[in-house]
Amino acid sequence: MTSDKPEPSRLRSALPWVTTVSRLVLAAVLIIAGGGKIGTPVLSVEAVKAYQLLPDSLATAVGYGLPILEIVIGVLLVVGLLTRVAGVVSALLMLAFVVGIASVWARGLRIDCGCFGGGGQLAAGEEPSYLIDILRDFGLFALGVIVAWFPPGRFALDSALGLTPGREPDEYNDDLEGDDEEPREGKDH
Amino acid sequence: MGKAARDQSARDRIKAQREAERKKERTKRLATMTAVAVVAVAAIGAGWWFAAQSSKPEETTAALAPITRAADGTVVMARPGVEKPVVDVYEDFQCPACKALEETSAATLKNLAAEGKAKVVFHTVTIFPEEMNKGITRGNSVRGAAAARCVPAGPAWMAYHDRLFEEQPPETAEGFALDDLVAWGEDAGVTDAGFAACVRNQQHAAAHLAASDKTLEAAKIQGTPTVKIDGVEVDNNVAFTPAELRQAILDAAK
Repeated sequence: MTSDKPEPSRLRSALPWVTTVSRLVLAAVLIIAGGGKIGTPVLSVEAVKAYQLLPDSLATAVGYGLPILEIVIGVLLVVGLLTRVAGVVSALLMLAFVVGIASVWARGLRIDCGCFGGGGQLAAGEEPSYLIDILRDFGLFALGVIVAWFPPGRFALDSALGLTPGREPDEYNDDLEGDDEEPREGKDH
Repeated sequence: MGKAARDQSARDRIKAQREAERKKERTKRLATMTAVAVVAVAAIGAGWWFAAQSSKPEETTAALAPITRAADGTVVMARPGVEKPVVDVYEDFQCPACKALEETSAATLKNLAAEGKAKVVFHTVTIFPEEMNKGITRGNSVRGAAAARCVPAGPAWMAYHDRLFEEQPPETAEGFALDDLVAWGEDAGVTDAGFAACVRNQQHAAAHLAASDKTLEAAKIQGTPTVKIDGVEVDNNVAFTPAELRQAILDAAK
């Protein structure tokens, strides 16, 4: 915030940038996390099993699928395609991670979150850092919510391809009829 | 038609036209979004499939290569005369990632040894410290490892080794009970009269721990499992991908 009482228009022009930054931060984390796991799907499966939350067959499916899901969502966020969906999915993912880690913590299990690869085991003498993991993922969840709420932000293919229903072409803007009120208004003008 | 009515119909026409355009836009938008979504889902599916394929274990084809025990307690699986490449496997019976390695890549190692393409050396270690989980994890590891030392070298050792990984308890719960350890030995074909007593007395626990500490120190093991080819640590991405592990070992044999 640049002033205590920002002008609405200035706020409105800053918002797309906030979305863009959120997208990029979230994307970076997702791509790094997915990339760290995708080379060793077996360890990824092991990391999921270490949470002792899912039955083995489901844990295996999640272990194989999660790294690629993270990378694909990350790429969508970077380029700003299907931004709202990508935002919702990443927010849900982060929420799931928060719940998973909190549950591990509550049950007194002693594991590594396996967030960025590794089999979910702590090295000898290593202490789990559940609180930090939860706070980080909660912050990322918030970014996901921002992206889902205010898509697509600047530098988004969604805008270039005209995939944002809120944005009508300019000639509609000084429309006297006032009959095409959309629930969401354009943010980029 | 009065002026007002003409205006009205012009407005209606414009409105209808605009509505049609908007509808067209919407259809186009929907088509693009669907296409992107389909590509994204296809990419996820392909990645999932690839992950599942790349971690699929080999089938064990032939009889195991001869299994012997070296003086330092390591177990060697190799055809007579095969001295290189040496594949060192450092593993802890209680470590879940070691179990994962076992499930994924053990068949590759067995096959390569049987084909005379590698000398595989198993180093059983205990990586878990006493202060972890009130010593439960370390206790499991030591009990399992000590029991495995009671099994004479040979196919029975490999069967026992595989069984221990199969029955691996969670890190937080006490497992590898002495009764089970004895029973699994019988299942694996151990006929030694002294076997049961050897397991129950944990006869080799001290020797195992001494060897383990020495190994961890000497081999500079950061974690388990660690796989080395001719002394060079293999990246996990390779070790946990059977096809790549096979290739890395074959390359080292050249």
